[in-house]
Amino acid sequence: MTSALISAIRRLHIAVTPQIRVYSSNVAATTSAGSNSLSITKKEWAFQPQYTKPREVWIENLDTIEEQKLGLFELHPSVYAAPPRLDIINQNVVWQRKIRFVSWAHTKTRAEVRGGGKKPWPQKGTGRARHGSIRSPLWRGGGIAHGPRSGKSHFFMLPFHVRIHGLTTTLSSKLAQDDLHIVKDLELPTDEPEFLAELVEKRNWGPSVLIVDDTDYAPRNITAATDSLAHINIMPVYGLNVYSMLKHDTLVLTLSAAEKIEERLLHWLHADTRAQSREYKVNQV
Amino acid sequence: MTAGVRHNVSFETNNIVLIALVAILYSLFKMATVWRSQCAFARLFAGKTGQILNNATDLGTKLGPGSQSAILAKKYSNYAHSPFVTKIKEQYDYEIVKNPPEWGYVQRLLPFDTIPAVTPKDSYPSGWVPPKEEAKTLPFFLCRTRNHEIPIYLQITYRGIRKITKIKRIEGDIWLLNDEIKSYLKEKNNRYVETRVQEVGRFIEVKGDYVNQLVDWAHSKGF
Repeated sequence: MTSALISAIRRLHIAVTPQIRVYSSNVAATTSAGSNSLSITKKEWAFQPQYTKPREVWIENLDTIEEQKLGLFELHPSVYAAPPRLDIINQNVVWQRKIRFVSWAHTKTRAEVRGGGKKPWPQKGTGRARHGSIRSPLWRGGGIAHGPRSGKSHFFMLPFHVRIHGLTTTLSSKLAQDDLHIVKDLELPTDEPEFLAELVEKRNWGPSVLIVDDTDYAPRNITAATDSLAHINIMPVYGLNVYSMLKHDTLVLTLSAAEKIEERLLHWLHADTRAQSREYKVNQV
Repeated sequence: MTAGVRHNVSFETNNIVLIALVAILYSLFKMATVWRSQCAFARLFAGKTGQILNNATDLGTKLGPGSQSAILAKKYSNYAHSPFVTKIKEQYDYEIVKNPPEWGYVQRLLPFDTIPAVTPKDSYPSGWVPPKEEAKTLPFFLCRTRNHEIPIYLQITYRGIRKITKIKRIEGDIWLLNDEIKSYLKEKNNRYVETRVQEVGRFIEVKGDYVNQLVDWAHSKGF
């Protein structure tokens, strides 16, 4: 009787609840084998969050067009749940534009305009205004007074912590706006750009995507696929910056990249930064 | 005649001294060339002269028989174009030990990577008060700075006329915290205290110098 009941239940094909495994990130990461096993990571940081709860994000995959949730992952609130300081983001963007900008606008002064050496008419007796040179700035075709001189550098250095908080606030804003996605790795099944474009289209990631990995070499398929897609770019973790994050609609971090960013930013949020906060000198190493 | 001979002799001696000087200078120059070529490779590793092993000018390296050709004095037109010496064998025997017991003493001298946590004690002679665990159950929170201090500061502007107390790093319900400190300061000072709340920047500015009162309040709350 009971065996008949059990077999009847088996025949119903009741969906088994996903096996949930809890493990610390200190333990070597285990990959979830089947689609019905979720990995939930409870993280132990060197600097535990005090009050704000850690942000939870899905770990997604890149090897199918349809999104599969491979697990849950915790992100530190100091890095990924900072207040959205638009002023700091703006300061960073302005800094990044200016730091490499050299203005080549150039005008000639009255000394550089050709001619004008002779006094055009005598000082007195003509009834005309007194002039010493036909290239004076008052004259049409004359030199420009206080005009732009070429090779003007706009380099300046933003304070260290404004740069650090620029990264945290931009990452947090991206996460709060659902524009930050964590993927397990960057393995693609093909190297065709159509696959990646369709994946981005299907997942509604917006036209432009910035993919950030921990290493500065990426798997071949994704490099080949993104090569011809101008709006999907890959970047190593040390190249992450506010300007690029804002330029792209969606930021895709690999699991290791998210951890690396978190570790480095947490380090600087809790380190003695007197050396970094010192005034920037051009000759410093 | 005698004078002439004497003159001749002195001229000769002068000449000899000159020749000797030139020879010494030349040999010095040659030595310098050899020394540079001998040590150039080792200097790559050693870097500064302050780190020379046992005060040895050859930086603890000796040239092998294969590189003897470099010893031969040869003038190069340029320091940068002179070749590096190859085939160097170590003069001193040493072994590399990982984590020796003495390493602890070295580690003691190294600067901290990050600011360390405070070791828990019953009381601190500086008057520093540790944060309490029950503060985390409140609807608002004042996060300690990286130096484990309460983030309440006094801003003096307009040559000391304007004093503003700034409470930073507020988490949770900032408006509730604003109401609490307003009523607390009003009760304490028997006067209305003006505040300004910056919700995005997560800070509150209180008009007037209330740093000590607010720090006491924060300690009483356990922040």
